[in-house]
Amino acid sequence: MAQSPTSLVDEIGIALGNLADAASGTLTPTLRLGVTGLSRAGKTNFITALVHGLLTGGRLPGFSPLAEGRFIGARLAEYPDASIPRFVYEQHLEALTRNGPHWPESTRRISQLRLILRFQSNGWLAGLRGPSQVNLDIVDYPGEWLLDLPLLGLSFREWSDQALERAGRLGSEAEARPFFEALSRIDPAAEARDTDAETLATAFTAYLRLSREDGRALSTLPPGRFLLPGDLEGSPALTFAPLPRPAGAARSSSLYAMLERRYEAYKDVVVRPFFRDHFARLDRQIVLVDALRALNAGPDAVRDLETALSAVLACFRQGENNPLTRIIARKIDRILFAATKADHLHHRSHDRLEAILNRLVANAARRAKFSGAETRSLAIAAIRATREGTITEKGEPLDVIIGTPMAGESLGDTVYDGSGEIALFPGDLPEQADAVFAEDGGVHLNFLRFAPPQRLERNAEGAVILPHIRLDRALEFLLGDWLR
Amino acid sequence: MKEPIARPLAPASPASAEVRTPRVFAPENAEPAGPAEFELEPNTEADVLAPPRRMGLASRLAWGAGALLVSLGLGLAAERLISDLFARYEWLGWAGMVALVVFVLAIITLALRELAALARLRTLDRLKQRAADVLVSDAVGEGKLVLGTLSELYASRADLARPRQALADNSRDILDGAEFVRLAERLLMAPLDARARALTAASARRVALVTTVSPRALVDIAFVAYESIRLAGAIASLYGAKPGFFGFWRLTGAVLGHLAVTGGLALTDGMVEQLVGQGLAGKLSARLGEGIVNGLMTVRVGIAAMRVVRPLPFETQKQPLVRDFMPDLVKVAQAPRPPA
Repeated sequence: MAQSPTSLVDEIGIALGNLADAASGTLTPTLRLGVTGLSRAGKTNFITALVHGLLTGGRLPGFSPLAEGRFIGARLAEYPDASIPRFVYEQHLEALTRNGPHWPESTRRISQLRLILRFQSNGWLAGLRGPSQVNLDIVDYPGEWLLDLPLLGLSFREWSDQALERAGRLGSEAEARPFFEALSRIDPAAEARDTDAETLATAFTAYLRLSREDGRALSTLPPGRFLLPGDLEGSPALTFAPLPRPAGAARSSSLYAMLERRYEAYKDVVVRPFFRDHFARLDRQIVLVDALRALNAGPDAVRDLETALSAVLACFRQGENNPLTRIIARKIDRILFAATKADHLHHRSHDRLEAILNRLVANAARRAKFSGAETRSLAIAAIRATREGTITEKGEPLDVIIGTPMAGESLGDTVYDGSGEIALFPGDLPEQADAVFAEDGGVHLNFLRFAPPQRLERNAEGAVILPHIRLDRALEFLLGDWLR
Repeated sequence: MKEPIARPLAPASPASAEVRTPRVFAPENAEPAGPAEFELEPNTEADVLAPPRRMGLASRLAWGAGALLVSLGLGLAAERLISDLFARYEWLGWAGMVALVVFVLAIITLALRELAALARLRTLDRLKQRAADVLVSDAVGEGKLVLGTLSELYASRADLARPRQALADNSRDILDGAEFVRLAERLLMAPLDARARALTAASARRVALVTTVSPRALVDIAFVAYESIRLAGAIASLYGAKPGFFGFWRLTGAVLGHLAVTGGLALTDGMVEQLVGQGLAGKLSARLGEGIVNGLMTVRVGIAAMRVVRPLPFETQKQPLVRDFMPDLVKVAQAPRPPA
């Protein structure tokens, strides 16, 4: 039976937190934006582009407060929670805009940022009051950790069954063999010994790491902290592994019971605080989905992505907000599903990408709509790395994208070294979104990863303008009605 | 006491009625059913006035022959005049010739200008229709076309130079048709809307003032007509229609048609405020009440003209409402606001 992701104590804590927010928010309301995405979905890029666009009043014609001239400006502010590092926006921006730019490094720890937005409302009452302010709180974190959220609803036994089933699946024998060998040498019902637990945990971690690097992009690989342990490395809460079901009830001194306790500790110490502090009290959510990488890897990876997204999104609190209940129970009332890296495709294919995205998040979207939240899907690129063009091949025009592929990317026999532009036709996305799930749906795609844009325009104040695709529409949907 | 009787209501079905058994066919043999067609019921009732019939053959012949005769007469008169002039003095003849050529050229230029003005009005009309389509279909190519036509339309307008530049800068990154239209509306239409509103408000105020102080009813009727025509022309020029003489007739027709259909009121406009405001003013002074009524009439003309000539539908900007102009009308006695 699935458990609730939170305990009663958590619920009270969450309600008190909301109450405190409501009290301090009477003057300056705070909007918590949940940027959700598995690892490498482009969370850091999205946040950097968003912050930069708002700070410099960037080129966001579809974002109505800016387009109507009601947006006065934004500035970075100190985050109220002193225990969490700041999102190093400046470093990420520097990486993107320096000579020989590169993408920000993958996120290894949690960080957060508060942005104060100043705007003039066009309502008659607010218009009399003068400019208003809204705090925008954003959290960045490693996408691997997100995969832990579904664990909150699983017992050790259920999780073990799932994990062992996945490891035993066809295609992952090579990576999982050392772990299964270690498992066969150990008797779960025997007396608990730390060395056994450590052996198993090491083998399991190695398996997780291998299957992630393998490129089949397996996104469903909890526990996420095994891959990015942070300062918990080696602690008992991170030293466990899935075990097969014991025949009868396990003795409390057995290895099985010990690992079960550690699993519960992992949930209590690591996952639940993460969820409670950062995801239980959100107003808006954007779900970044890197559908192209999964499409590159094949139908297995696509199915895998769908499962992971459904499981993760089921943990969030969505539904209609009303001003009274919001004081105690905040809910996400708008969810944007965004297929990232839309710049790796010609814009004529964006409709199909959105169709595939809709198919991937169908379960989650249905659930959100049922609970009263508004959803939308968009193909976006927070930072656009390519231009578009046309090439005529055998008298037939082909829509291509032009950009610099990253070093090590390959198409056919050619391996690119990261210098020099190419024009790429990545293949047609299928017309029917379901085809991407079929074993051989006739879908042949090859998306290359492109380096960040090399030459950037600057605006009148000398600030860099980051090109994007539909970032403004995303912002309009996520923030527009708060700045009305 | 009556006996109970049972009678069958329908005659018993004939035994020969065939019961059809299920059968299977190859799908190729089946004729695909086309989309369902709905037949519109012809409106047999003559509940609307029939549109004026086109001229019959006889009257067309009469008019055509008459026009031919008149132009022949004009040509003859011109020819006779020139030859008479030549007969009198030769230099007078040449002068008359030059005057005639200049006159003909000027007439042709005027006619061309009228045609251009009519074409512009039509362009605005079509543009609005296309923009509305793009807002629904979100087609990129169409959106770009709308944007292109719009920037061409306003290419020679000095007052829109900056919005045009902003439009060009911002439209490069847009990949959705509807976004093009919204952007164009925010950048190009918004300043024009503000000026059109200011024009309307000023006109309405003038009308209200003149009505309040004029001694004769005929004077204010004339003034309302004059001011309305001026206002519609000014708004049309503002949005880039620049109507000529005939264009102006078309515009007037469109504005009157719009007024007739909507009564000059948007759906969101409440009649109540208007009636209340008017009633209050009427209590203070009968003339002031009439002034406000006439002012409201002018406001409606202004709004109708905006809706008719504005090349984009109202999407991001608010529709002008009669209600918005009430404060201007009430402040009749005060100094007019400088136009925004």
